[in-house]
Amino acid sequence: MLMRRLVLAIPLLIGILFFTFMLIRLGGQDPVGLLAGPTATTEEIEIVRAELGLDKPLFTQFWLFLGDVVQGDIGKSWISNRSVTLDILERIPITLELLLWGVALGSVIGVPVGLRAAFRHDKWFDHISRGISLLGFSIPTYFLALLLLFVFFFLLGWSPPGMGRISLLISPPPTVTGSYLIDGLLAGDLEVARSAVAQLILPIIAVAIISAAPIVKHTRAIALEIISSDFVRFARASGLPSEKVSRIVLKNSSTPVTTFIGTELTGLVGSVSLIEFVFAWGGVGQYGLNAIIRGDFAAVQGYVLFLALFSLVVFIIVDLLVLVLEPRAVAE
Amino acid sequence: MSLLQVRDLHTHFISRNLDNEIRIAKALNGVSFEVSRGEVLGLVGETGAGKSLTAYSVMDLLKPPAKVVGGTVEFDGRNLRDLEAEDMNKLRGSEIAMVVQNPRSSLDPLTRVGEQLIRVHTAHTDTSESAARARAIEKLGAVGIPAPEQRMRAWPHELSGGMAQRVLIAMALMNEPKLIIADEPTTGLDVTVQAQILDLLRELVVTHNVAAMVITHDLGIVAHYCNRMAVMFAGRIVETGDVETVFDNPSHPYTRTLIASTPERLKEGKQKVLGGGAPPNLYNLPPGCHYVERCRFADESCNKPLSLDQVGDGHFAMCTRLDAVREGWPS
Amino acid sequence: MADLALDGAPKERSTIEKVWGKVVGISRRSPTSIIGFVIILFFGFLALLAPLLMPYDPIAANPNLILSGPSAAHWFGTDGNGMDVFSRVIFGSRFAFGIAIPVVIIALSIGIPIGLYSGYKGGNIDEAIMRVVDAFRVFPSIILALAVVAAAGPSLLNVVLVIGILDAPIFVRVVRAEVLALRSSSFVESGLIVGNPTWRILFVHLLPNAIQGAMAQTAVRAAWAVRISATLAFLGIGIQPPTPEWGAMIRQGAEFMVNGQWWVGIFPGVALILMVLGFNMFGDGLQDLLDPKRRSGGK
Repeated sequence: MLMRRLVLAIPLLIGILFFTFMLIRLGGQDPVGLLAGPTATTEEIEIVRAELGLDKPLFTQFWLFLGDVVQGDIGKSWISNRSVTLDILERIPITLELLLWGVALGSVIGVPVGLRAAFRHDKWFDHISRGISLLGFSIPTYFLALLLLFVFFFLLGWSPPGMGRISLLISPPPTVTGSYLIDGLLAGDLEVARSAVAQLILPIIAVAIISAAPIVKHTRAIALEIISSDFVRFARASGLPSEKVSRIVLKNSSTPVTTFIGTELTGLVGSVSLIEFVFAWGGVGQYGLNAIIRGDFAAVQGYVLFLALFSLVVFIIVDLLVLVLEPRAVAE
Repeated sequence: MSLLQVRDLHTHFISRNLDNEIRIAKALNGVSFEVSRGEVLGLVGETGAGKSLTAYSVMDLLKPPAKVVGGTVEFDGRNLRDLEAEDMNKLRGSEIAMVVQNPRSSLDPLTRVGEQLIRVHTAHTDTSESAARARAIEKLGAVGIPAPEQRMRAWPHELSGGMAQRVLIAMALMNEPKLIIADEPTTGLDVTVQAQILDLLRELVVTHNVAAMVITHDLGIVAHYCNRMAVMFAGRIVETGDVETVFDNPSHPYTRTLIASTPERLKEGKQKVLGGGAPPNLYNLPPGCHYVERCRFADESCNKPLSLDQVGDGHFAMCTRLDAVREGWPS
Repeated sequence: MADLALDGAPKERSTIEKVWGKVVGISRRSPTSIIGFVIILFFGFLALLAPLLMPYDPIAANPNLILSGPSAAHWFGTDGNGMDVFSRVIFGSRFAFGIAIPVVIIALSIGIPIGLYSGYKGGNIDEAIMRVVDAFRVFPSIILALAVVAAAGPSLLNVVLVIGILDAPIFVRVVRAEVLALRSSSFVESGLIVGNPTWRILFVHLLPNAIQGAMAQTAVRAAWAVRISATLAFLGIGIQPPTPEWGAMIRQGAEFMVNGQWWVGIFPGVALILMVLGFNMFGDGLQDLLDPKRRSGGK
């Protein structure tokens, strides 16, 4: 199953690269003009064009580009003037720190609420949690982030301003993992760790709220389906006490819920980008958004590749988890 | 004295449609029957007649919008409809055990077979885990599962349909029940496996002295494995009696139609007398006999309220046109 | 027959009773759908009557009244250009509908034919189409929309086209699933036997049956369209300030929010949430009412 997933992923990856490649080449903006600068002469522009290989036919260009990508070279960002691969690699832990904490918190809230809503089907709890989760679906991510900053920074003063991952007055710890919190702890610098946590709280809450809404909805649907399954009906007919029946429902919900959270993780990278944008978080998401907005083509391509690879990795991890949770999967 | 006596059981589906009108589907309309220890009652009828619903009503396992609205269910001297939910739950799986259709999907897919057997026993008794395990192995052996110790560790998806059904029967036996309700226990199984499962059930009724109720749409099963039978149509028992009596002397036109259309009869070259047609609309049942629209003996008298009348020794039928049916039926 | 009336046969009702009964019946089954419908109706009313309801011209800057807080003259205050936020919020509802409705129509008119064809034909074509649809699903839609709009150039038309196209795969999936379920049914087979051409079977026989699932999705997709178009504007791609579009207004308000001039961003934000919520609630209820699989009940 894993091999199949990997084999299927390759055409998908190439397809995505091709799509973004063409999108950028055929799009309105000319990368050469941006790279060469506004004062460049026509000859200079032609030289840059030849250097970049942009004078060759599109498919040749794509083929060459693909060869570079396989070797880990996505190109150079004109914003940072550095290798995109390096830019992205050093930002991955920054985004993951936010995403994973946020989704973890979102799951810790969302899964129990969804389960309870299923057990209280059509009762008050179900209706209210459904309403709240619909609200979660409806709040624009960036507006939620702004709202949190407005309330907790401006009105209440509980939170530091949303400007980066650590207070501007504190120098960052030596880089080990890339997470200021973990690196601060590793360096034994509690002030750094404390500041990192203070900066993390609001964006994590934002990610948690955005991720919890679909988790509630799907956990509820999954649990409802299991509650109406043959084996739960039979467990009731066997007179098992309701706690035991509930435990059967929980156990059987675990695989589909895990799979769902995994797939959600891949979709959330988009929302997290917006949260990074508002909090000036400086992770891959903000990097990618800036690249798209400012037309930094190599960086856009790197970002898109990162998204695709990230979802691939998440799906593989989910597959492995299912293997642990499901006796049926082992047999297959 | 019968173990289970069901009297005048009414179950309705009560809902509101989008026009906010209350809609009542009268699924059970005065079901009465009884079962004693050591006998197998066959509850037979077409899809939608209310056979399974009868079982679920007796077990108090209905979910809204289905609701028992009338009648009594007397089991071993108690009226089950007066029991608290908790006491009723203690009864399920211990005194009354169920064997269901779709055995494979009725086992918890993430729990080993042995654990599921043990779970049913420890939920109802104070037995130790090890005693329950020994008992589970014994019961798996009793239902004819080879190498029961190894089977204890099997996952449900590793079992064949027939094997899974044996496991369900073993599970039913874990708490020495007084009554076993088997709801279409062999639907979807191979014919040979069907026979084995039903033979096993039949044998257990005798050896364990339990009462059994087999729900089926297959008259052949009733003829071969049941002592008594009850024919259901549109939420009512229309005829009941000993299997031989009913087969020899079917009184209700619906019973006659059913018997005439069994494969064996058709093979004997007898005329195919199918009284086919849709089941009556449960939202709007006729005032008298429910079979009236499909019955070729129907007349004015069929619109009057009617009751299960004795037509022979332990043989009852719900029909006002018995004489006409007896005379008019092609033999 | 007197007995029949007792048996719950429908009694004669007046028209008002029938309509009212329907309202009560639907809200009993799905209270969210009614609330959602009322919210949509409210915004529809704002959009239609905007010229009558707006106290000021939404893009008339008053340089003497920059960033003044909510007052009797300016209920929602004024923004950084001195424009009346209340008027701008009302006018913004026109953009929301003006984007949501064409987006859903585009998505439907692309998604339904492809879904019908894919589900009906099966085989390699179907497989290829589903791969593409899956690829869309894996990818965060907001990033895709951003990238394409950025490449195509930010204009209202491009925003509508791109969002509409990106949304089509949802309908492909829904319609295809319905067609797969219907394909082997007897009425399709009888249509084939009679010798109907493929297009006739697709559009005359399958479409009316398969369309319910797609219809159930429309309101939720409208919510998504409103949301994502505002996101594009917020990021500065798509509709540009000072156009009175909610996302662009939030972008303008963002910088003032942490300085205390909250009204510039909060009011359009609340309007945006409410409208998206209205569509989502209505859509959620719609799915309950139209999709039998989501309906609970039975034994």
